[in-house]
Amino acid sequence: MIFKLKNFLKNLTIGLTLLANAVAINYAYADRLDDIEKRGEIKIAVFDSNPPFGYIDEKTNQIIGLDVDYAMAIANALNLKLKLVSTNPANRIPLLISQKADLIVANFTVTEERSKAVDFSVPYFATGQKFIAKKGVIKTPDDIKTLRIGADKGTVMEITLREKYPTAKVISYDDTPFAFAALRNGVVQAITQDDAKLVGLLANIPQVQRDEFEISPFSITKEYQAVGLPKGETRLKEKVNQILLALEQDGEALTIYNRWFGPQTSSAMPRGDFKIGDGSLY
Amino acid sequence: MFFQEMSEQLLAPRYLGWLWDGFIVTIMISFLTILFSTIFGFLLAILSQSQYRVIRILIRCYNGIFRYSPLLPQLFFWYFGIGNILPLEFKLWLFDEPAIDLGYLRITMPSFEFIMGLTGLTFYSTAFIAEEFRAGMQGVKQGQLSAAFALGLSHWQSFRFIILPQAWQISFPALVGQYMNIIKNSSLTMAIGVLELSYVSQQIETETLKTFQDYAYTTMIYIMAIIMVGTFGNFYHQRLLEKGKR
Amino acid sequence: MDLSSFSDGFIVIKNNLAYFVWGNYPEGSIGGIILTLILSLSAIIIASVFGVIAGIGLTILIGWQHKLLVLILSFLRAIPILMLIFWTFFLLPMIFNVDVPAIATVILALALIGSAYIAYAVYAGMITVSVEQWQAAYSLGLNRQQVIRYIILPQAIRMMMPSFVNQWVSLIKDSSLAYIVSVAEFTFLATKVNNRSMVYPTEIFLFVIVVYFIICYALNLLVSCLTKRKKPLMFN
Repeated sequence: MIFKLKNFLKNLTIGLTLLANAVAINYAYADRLDDIEKRGEIKIAVFDSNPPFGYIDEKTNQIIGLDVDYAMAIANALNLKLKLVSTNPANRIPLLISQKADLIVANFTVTEERSKAVDFSVPYFATGQKFIAKKGVIKTPDDIKTLRIGADKGTVMEITLREKYPTAKVISYDDTPFAFAALRNGVVQAITQDDAKLVGLLANIPQVQRDEFEISPFSITKEYQAVGLPKGETRLKEKVNQILLALEQDGEALTIYNRWFGPQTSSAMPRGDFKIGDGSLY
Repeated sequence: MFFQEMSEQLLAPRYLGWLWDGFIVTIMISFLTILFSTIFGFLLAILSQSQYRVIRILIRCYNGIFRYSPLLPQLFFWYFGIGNILPLEFKLWLFDEPAIDLGYLRITMPSFEFIMGLTGLTFYSTAFIAEEFRAGMQGVKQGQLSAAFALGLSHWQSFRFIILPQAWQISFPALVGQYMNIIKNSSLTMAIGVLELSYVSQQIETETLKTFQDYAYTTMIYIMAIIMVGTFGNFYHQRLLEKGKR
Repeated sequence: MDLSSFSDGFIVIKNNLAYFVWGNYPEGSIGGIILTLILSLSAIIIASVFGVIAGIGLTILIGWQHKLLVLILSFLRAIPILMLIFWTFFLLPMIFNVDVPAIATVILALALIGSAYIAYAVYAGMITVSVEQWQAAYSLGLNRQQVIRYIILPQAIRMMMPSFVNQWVSLIKDSSLAYIVSVAEFTFLATKVNNRSMVYPTEIFLFVIVVYFIICYALNLLVSCLTKRKKPLMFN
């Protein structure tokens, strides 16, 4: 009975899936760069609740952040008007496929599996997956194995943990504040995120709590963030790559980095030796 | 070439397995919620007919608070708020997901997330079901109650044999609607880490980025599960109606 | 949790109060609580009209028309709202080449699903009104349309009022699912503020609960006021 149901489900859904695919493939043959230039406006999807990459500014209520700066730089280099489309992990790909957005510049981590569904530009940011826990809980990667760990939905953190540390119990929450609330309540013993976000998190919380927690001294991965593009748009991809590499050369990339992670910011973090264009490419 | 492209586009079989596991959890948590909230809802509805004002007011407060605020923050309340109050030893015991020996039956304790999700869903749905059932009881006309008294039935008897069956019949379609809602609402428990269908679906989306394909499967599975509940409900309601006519 | 950090959380809410109420307005489009009210009120009105019509349809239609209606309603009752919003927003433009604004998609999806539930409540009410009343009404010389309009429907609606309020309340709360298409209604804005301030999820979502409670309770009060005033009119 169960087997039959499973089969039935499969057949039933293949129909719908094929329909969605047919439309998606159909769209892939148009040249997006020409469309964009003709339109005179580029639509770029950015996160609106993921500080410091993309979030709503408290004073102006506009979206700001590192990703937004890159979106602006791309639009400027193309000499086009920029339209920011706010997105979240649940709708970024549909926005791209249905042409409601031309590019995704939303802290988008590159993985091999993902590169089957979208194209990625050269990486413009690098992070490592780290942990926050009560002081002394995590000293070596081995400590992770027995913990309950909170993660964020829509990030690859949970996948990485499940593959590398199958004995750890991972629970994904909607957003970082909830994961952190779970940590404070003792429902999880650690939370995991990019080092960039964790530094920002610690910078944001009251001093009393900051003294209680610490970021793990090691990271378990090296990850690259890149611009997401529709599959098969070679010309658009090359253009974006050119722009990003030029940003590194004229020092603009460093300026943007320092605006959000520079020594004078609350989430100060050294840039390390990463340069735009480094890192594995799929 | 075309077929290769298509199979690239479809979800790999291992993800279908994930979806199946998630579906089982969705069914489990929905079924238990339906069971508990029906029992508690009926009790509340009956109690709301109480002659004591205090009880009536308390029940109205309960129904109001749980029905007039969204489920998601309520789940946060149970998970983060109540989860915080529970004794640490108890939580640690739950986190290990111990197996409980019931003589010949061994049940593995569900996860802490599952228990809190079930609690939140049950408290929420109970208020709705109580309200539907109360509406059903009000639909039974006052005249019938007087007639029952005139026949010499006691308060309890007239309630049990006259009001209850009719109220059940009147409110049944609405109850089926609530049961369908429970299945849908169960998807919100993903916010507190219950590994149900929507949670799994998001995991797959994050990993593969095949959003449309993934959501298509998920939508179909929900629709099928809910249609099954609805069909069964309609079927049972027809039988209730026929029984009523006889 | 100590009191001082709790009060910090409420300062965050106070600082963002204007943002919570109307979002980016007037620099940007309207959002927040006002948008939640607009979304849910439009959905409630459309859902009630469609629901009553479909409910009458369920009672009087026979044969294939009845089956078709049941099929449509079952589908609408079965699809999760989140998914209906998602598919109408993303798939419609791709298939039919029409661009539906996100807010309209949300209202439409909420209204369609709400009307399916209301239809069944109306139907349940109408078949409960006893057969004798139908016969009595016919014998008064009223035609079927009149019987439904003046005798059966008012009773059915009054009987099922609590059920309607249930559905309306659900619609208000479900409007928070608009996040899937990035519509800036109240809960979504609360999430954004929550992500910016990081450490006050308890306070912010307590505030969310209170606001929805006030909206829903006000609706309930309004309905019970209106129905109470109607009663004497009906009986004199």
